[in-house]
Amino acid sequence: MTYIPSADDLEVITREVWTSFLDGDPDGLLPGETTPGAEEVTGCVHLSGAYVGSIMLRCSAPAARYAAAALFSMQPTDVTQNEVVDALGELANMVGGNVKSMLPGPSALSLPSVVHGQLAVPGAQVVREVALSWRGETLVVSLWQQAAQAA
Amino acid sequence: MRILVVDDSRAMRMIVVRTLQLAGYDEHEIVQASNGREAVEVISQAPPGLVLCDWNMPEMSGLELLKGLRAAGWEVPFGFVTSEAAPQMREQALAAGAMFLIAKPFTPEDFQDALDPVLA
Repeated sequence: MTYIPSADDLEVITREVWTSFLDGDPDGLLPGETTPGAEEVTGCVHLSGAYVGSIMLRCSAPAARYAAAALFSMQPTDVTQNEVVDALGELANMVGGNVKSMLPGPSALSLPSVVHGQLAVPGAQVVREVALSWRGETLVVSLWQQAAQAA
Repeated sequence: MRILVVDDSRAMRMIVVRTLQLAGYDEHEIVQASNGREAVEVISQAPPGLVLCDWNMPEMSGLELLKGLRAAGWEVPFGFVTSEAAPQMREQALAAGAMFLIAKPFTPEDFQDALDPVLA
């Protein structure tokens, strides 16, 4: 039976990334809700190989700006779209790379992509999801798997 | 010594540079490249004492860069700083000639553990 990382695993990995590079505060991430916000940003990496699927980091636009500001050591009001894309892509890459190491291999990790709004992968479904709240803003981390594999 | 930091994410390059400073390597000159191809240009102009390189990058991956350097006879000390740290990635990295692999996220202590033996 193939082990698929749990929602708790997703949370532990996300907390580690956030504590290391964004907050320094292990209690900075609180339980949250998956409710879509008015304006969102999604960072995504895809896996292909022994596991076919995706890891996504979806957050509110303010959370994306806060994350970019923390990574680039600047004020959230000074953050540009380029910095948001770079930051969300790298965060998705870090969470995705760590999730990948828990999945069956060998698989290849794609370069990250970042979109405004939500992202759905045709033919894939969410198999794990954790909703968090950071500075009062939504952050949802999800693991997707191609339906053919998940069946 | 010059340390070359190679990563396609400008945010991550900043974090690596910050971590090098926090780990006590602030007396070294740090240069940057955003992918393997740019790194080759920097290395061919003036070889650094150490390359800290991401794995997954556009244009040329870190592994392609390392293999290319070794094939061309460049023996510059090389370590990966990557989000992918599964045992098979470490094996691949070491087999290609890397001295270490630091997993993201990392701490200044992780850098000291990996870099002290190289920079001592």
